[in-house]
Amino acid sequence: MLLKLNNKTQCYKTILLLMLSFAFNYCVVANDEFDKTWQVHGFVAQGMINVNGSNFVNDEQNLSLKLTEVGINTSYQHSTNLRFTAQVVYLNGGNRYSKGARVDYALIDWTAYNDENWLVKVYLGRYKNNHWLYSSTRDVPHTRPSIILPQSLYFDGFRDIAMGADGIAINLNYSAESLGDFDFNFSYGSSELSSKEVKVLLGEHALGSGKKKFTAQASLNWQPEYSQWRFGLSLLDSDFNYHQHHQQDFFSDGTFSFQQYSISALFEGEYWQFSSEAFQQNFSQDGFFFPGFHQRNIGQGAYAQFQYKYNDQLKFLSRLELSYADKNDRNGKKLERKTDGVVPRYFGYQHDITLGASFDFNDKLRLQIEYHKIKGTSRLTPITAPNKLLNKNESWSLWALQLMYWF
Amino acid sequence: MYKDIGINLIFLRLFLFVVIFISNAAFGVSVISHKSVDVKSLTTSQLRRIYTMRQLQWSSNVRIKVYVLSSNHLTHKNFCKENLRIFPYQLDRIWNKLTFSGLGVAPTVVKNQAELLRIVSTTPGAIGYIDNVNKEGHVNVIEIK
Repeated sequence: MLLKLNNKTQCYKTILLLMLSFAFNYCVVANDEFDKTWQVHGFVAQGMINVNGSNFVNDEQNLSLKLTEVGINTSYQHSTNLRFTAQVVYLNGGNRYSKGARVDYALIDWTAYNDENWLVKVYLGRYKNNHWLYSSTRDVPHTRPSIILPQSLYFDGFRDIAMGADGIAINLNYSAESLGDFDFNFSYGSSELSSKEVKVLLGEHALGSGKKKFTAQASLNWQPEYSQWRFGLSLLDSDFNYHQHHQQDFFSDGTFSFQQYSISALFEGEYWQFSSEAFQQNFSQDGFFFPGFHQRNIGQGAYAQFQYKYNDQLKFLSRLELSYADKNDRNGKKLERKTDGVVPRYFGYQHDITLGASFDFNDKLRLQIEYHKIKGTSRLTPITAPNKLLNKNESWSLWALQLMYWF
Repeated sequence: MYKDIGINLIFLRLFLFVVIFISNAAFGVSVISHKSVDVKSLTTSQLRRIYTMRQLQWSSNVRIKVYVLSSNHLTHKNFCKENLRIFPYQLDRIWNKLTFSGLGVAPTVVKNQAELLRIVSTTPGAIGYIDNVNKEGHVNVIEIK
């Protein structure tokens, strides 16, 4: 059942019912024995967001409550080496990604080998992308540094493609007193996109279906012994197919191919945190607009982020982010020329300066607030058909506020 | 007379040093485990692997059950600083990632030290920490090197 998710609605209902039943048991009959085998956790977050100058969240560009994230997960330890776990989430982010409930992950977790230095784990089922700094918990509000993550790497339009897949994931960890900690991750899987997810990615006129043919990802992280630094690199290779629905479909069959190479650095001090990720992406498109169409872009992006902990409750954030759709066209002039002026040059890049703060009322309740000043519109959905009418400005801004509770 | 005062001051300093040394030894955070756990000492590095959920089993193949106090508890903060050499928020980040991405299980949080002592003493494979153990008979105390 966990691996075969064809009848999605039925599957959501079954998993949700199971989880609610476990949560009920957890609340009513929680005791030592229950705690040792079952765990139930979740989160609820609601916010408001106001975008001025683009259709990042809604076409009306007014104050919106489309900033909802709810999730519940359960974990059952079957034996020393075997565990079953699943999480269901409900998300509403307006135009950023498709609204609704999803099985976020549903896994069999097998500890294949473990001793004082080594840990080898194998995950089967729907796994999450665990290869970037914030990718595995990008929808879990209290685990991320800001409400809106850097769109260069965590592009919301690619969320359902980059989030994870159905297949296999392997985690290999090695620690040694002198060398530090090494974490190697590999995952391979595929998944189908819903019609809503296809529309967010490719536009309202895309009537066909989408299938992620495969995604292969690998990453290596290293933390020197007792160091406050951690360094990582990751690789991604993914193919996504679009199948024309019928003759009325404006678009034809197409293949999108995506490769990405990224590096990361993280510093965690007592009061200061620094994190940075930089990447290069090859994005090629065959067909889709018409049979025989071909386009290849090499995009680049990076961000540097500082967080300052004023005290146990109050934290501040600042971030600078740069993103280019094509590294050979950093000012977008070629894009404008190639489309005879139909697509303005500012669709070729997107740079963001972010300032934010968060306040913890206790260890389960937080209020987060942030402001973004943005130049360029390359990270707006749909990626294949930029909406010039709703995005007339090169510069735009947004502020967001979100209250989050977790357990 | 001045000489006597000088000697008295030296004794006073020595006395204070011994008192502080003994109180630190007596009131520091102790790492405890269930009686069935046959481990007398751990290095900081090994303890870190257990609390970051990288070592999941004792050498006897019994699953390690990790218990903690809440992140804001003073004993937890001292444990992180003195025994793990890590900041509490770093552990929170690691545990949140495990819990909400399906990768693993975070330690079980218990309400207070009395509860932690009770649960470690009754759970095979359990590990935890408390201030100043005086009920050594119920649990093992693990030396951190």
